[in-house]
Amino acid sequence: MSYTITEKCNGCGACMRVCPAGAISGEKKKPHKIEVNLCIECGACGRVCPQGGILDAEGVSCAMIKRSEWLKPEITLETCLACGICIDACPVGCLAMSEQPRDKGVDAYPYLKDAKTCIGCGFCSVECPADAIVMQKPVKTQNVTDAKESA
Amino acid sequence: MNKPYMGKILMVDLSNGTMTEEAITDSVYEQYLSGMGLGAYILFNRMPAGADPLGPDNILGFCSGLLTGTGSYFSGRWTLVGKSPLTGGWGDANCGGTFSPAIKRCGYDAIFFKGISSNPVYLYVKNGKATLQDATALWGQDAVETEEALKKQYGQKAAVAVIGPAGEKVSLISGVCTDKGRIAARSGLGAVMGVKKLKAVVLDGVQRIGAHDPAAMKKLSRHCAKWTNFPMPLSLLPGTMMALMGTFLRVTPVIFAQDGLLYKTILKKWGTGGMNQMSVEMGDSPLKNWNGSNVDFPLKKSRKIDPDIVKKAEIVKYHCYSCPLGCGGICATKGKYSHTHKPEYESVLALGGLCMNEDLDSIFYLNEFLNRAGMDTISAGATAAFAIECYEKGILTKKDTDGLELKWGNTGAIIALIEKMVKREGIGDLLADGSKVAAAKIGRGAEECTVHAGGQEPAMHDGRGDPGFNVHYSVEPTPGRHTIGAHLYYEMFQLWKRVKGLPKPTPLFMKGSKYKINKEKAQASAACSKFMSLGNGAGMCMFGLFLGSKRIPTFDWLNAATGWKFTPEEYMTIGERIQTMKQAFNVKHGIEPKNNFISSRAQGKIPQKEGANKGRFVDVEKLASGYWEQFGWDKNTGKPKDETLRKLGIK
Ligand code: SF4
Ligand code: SF4
Repeated sequence: MSYTITEKCNGCGACMRVCPAGAISGEKKKPHKIEVNLCIECGACGRVCPQGGILDAEGVSCAMIKRSEWLKPEITLETCLACGICIDACPVGCLAMSEQPRDKGVDAYPYLKDAKTCIGCGFCSVECPADAIVMQKPVKTQNVTDAKESA
Repeated sequence: MNKPYMGKILMVDLSNGTMTEEAITDSVYEQYLSGMGLGAYILFNRMPAGADPLGPDNILGFCSGLLTGTGSYFSGRWTLVGKSPLTGGWGDANCGGTFSPAIKRCGYDAIFFKGISSNPVYLYVKNGKATLQDATALWGQDAVETEEALKKQYGQKAAVAVIGPAGEKVSLISGVCTDKGRIAARSGLGAVMGVKKLKAVVLDGVQRIGAHDPAAMKKLSRHCAKWTNFPMPLSLLPGTMMALMGTFLRVTPVIFAQDGLLYKTILKKWGTGGMNQMSVEMGDSPLKNWNGSNVDFPLKKSRKIDPDIVKKAEIVKYHCYSCPLGCGGICATKGKYSHTHKPEYESVLALGGLCMNEDLDSIFYLNEFLNRAGMDTISAGATAAFAIECYEKGILTKKDTDGLELKWGNTGAIIALIEKMVKREGIGDLLADGSKVAAAKIGRGAEECTVHAGGQEPAMHDGRGDPGFNVHYSVEPTPGRHTIGAHLYYEMFQLWKRVKGLPKPTPLFMKGSKYKINKEKAQASAACSKFMSLGNGAGMCMFGLFLGSKRIPTFDWLNAATGWKFTPEEYMTIGERIQTMKQAFNVKHGIEPKNNFISSRAQGKIPQKEGANKGRFVDVEKLASGYWEQFGWDKNTGKPKDETLRKLGIK
């Protein structure tokens, strides 16, 4: 129940830099390793590995994807209850609660505060009890205002 | 990944800096859940009898909830546990915010501290590694400053629990603060953290929290959300209508069993402050150090704390983790602090009506000041009210008060007094450990002016108005607590709808019948204690539980999260076990349960002559006996019988 690194690894260290759990270790140009107990199966390493050297928890080889094409959360505020579960679920802390209330109403709302650090893991979407979040391919580079407008 | 608990705890020995990760077996969770239950299990088994609460043998635990992070709502509360230096027995304090999931995301269900560090330290956990760091630079800073400094260093995602100056100075009424103003305030556990020289706990984990059946969890959560958002016409009413409803409840001889949908509407609109005026009117709020009544604090005074006025300062609502309701609020304030958490009902009344203080700005200020200091607003307000009464009676004089004119409602003097308490300066040093300790030092009949249960000041709910409060203030292993049971709470929990054998309240009843002592009352009180012990093991919010047991599916969430197939009755037995273990903890540590009864003034031994609770007396001794019997504790001493302990598997 962890991602693994195969012998294709050339030790470039890309996976180690992106891993939000600090689960990957290894010296430069030497094979890297994933610590089973720390891996949270977010898949970020698989998406950055240029060698195709990473297997997911099921043993399927991961394909590298351009970061600009990684899925991003889109939040439907009509169904959102402002419970904050998504914000806590995010391993990189790219979601945040607004400091101002919604247009109509008094609750704060979650938004993608830091789109650049989002790793597209989709944990927010999985954990939201209201199913208010879908993971979408970004049309263009998203930022704070986009997240608000799309709501 | 499919278990809702992490199966591990971290034990930190501050005396030598060692950290031990320990696996906890499934059977412990099956018997005690996690959270407060796990805390009780560890403390009961590991703390030597008679341990000094302020010594190295005391164990302080930060416990998450079994349901926290599993996809359930209202399940983001954490429990701080330890031996209370305030009561000398079992201590716990409950808090919301975002700290509960943070514990689990570090891979633990709870983190415990024993020993005493020689210099100020804080714990930092990241990526499965825990380290103790030097906290010398943080020592002396207030709770908000410390949290900000630590988040600046470790990122906004880190969750931070801290003590403020009150805890550092080992005030016995201090607590532990998170999220810039949510505080685990009761039982004086901030002093334990302070004496251990542990300034903060910083958690930055990303571990995932599992559930046996995530789809079922979601379905149950949708059901709960439907009721949380159930539209109620009440939400359109202004705050003054709440006050008038309180007046009505005072004068009517007949009342109706309450449905939690009413209360959730109040919470959603105003937060706990929705009760500010209503409670005064109906006799729920103690006034003038429990000697006054609504006659002393009529509408024309209480309208300054009208919930609509408090709400005006609110910028945006605040939700604890996983809460679909959001009773909290972030407010803008004038003066020294620009932002503050909306003061809770308890704080408004303790710093307001109890001291006859009518100045709302001062309440906002003191609330934020005390949160930053890490001092309990309830005990601080109650201790100030005690000091005022002593002054008015001549037990304390201007010489004792460093020149402060401690008169009822003297706002300036109340502020100065509480500031002194935090600094432990002059008279403040005398009062910083609560009213019971202060009264013992003062002598001269000061004890007559205290209102406490086992050393802890009770909350702002008058047991002469709802006798259930007096029962729980007096019989709980953590005396003086208002978040466990009451006549009203039993009505709202609606447990009889799910748990076999529990009495159903009559929908319409004479108010006087609340004071009759019978078996049904004892069953109801015992059920509240069991249910809240269970709830605190699961990490549930009591306000959520007020929705009623069919609308908030606690038992079903627990089964869906764990894969167990327990009945509601079996879950109530888990609650019973946790409650009994806490009581056994007290007995082990030499507490005589009878000595925890609330002061006679609050029982109405000399009944009030006017106001909502005129003539009311609550016979706590008789009520306690009935309650103890329900648990299989000796009905004369309150100590769990051997056969009871055996039956529950407590050794
Ligand atoms: S799947 Fe995520 S957590 Fe696991 S090793 Fe890869 S980047 Fe790290
Ligand atoms: S988890 Fe869903 S409902 Fe909760 S704040 Fe996030 S989007 Fe809203």
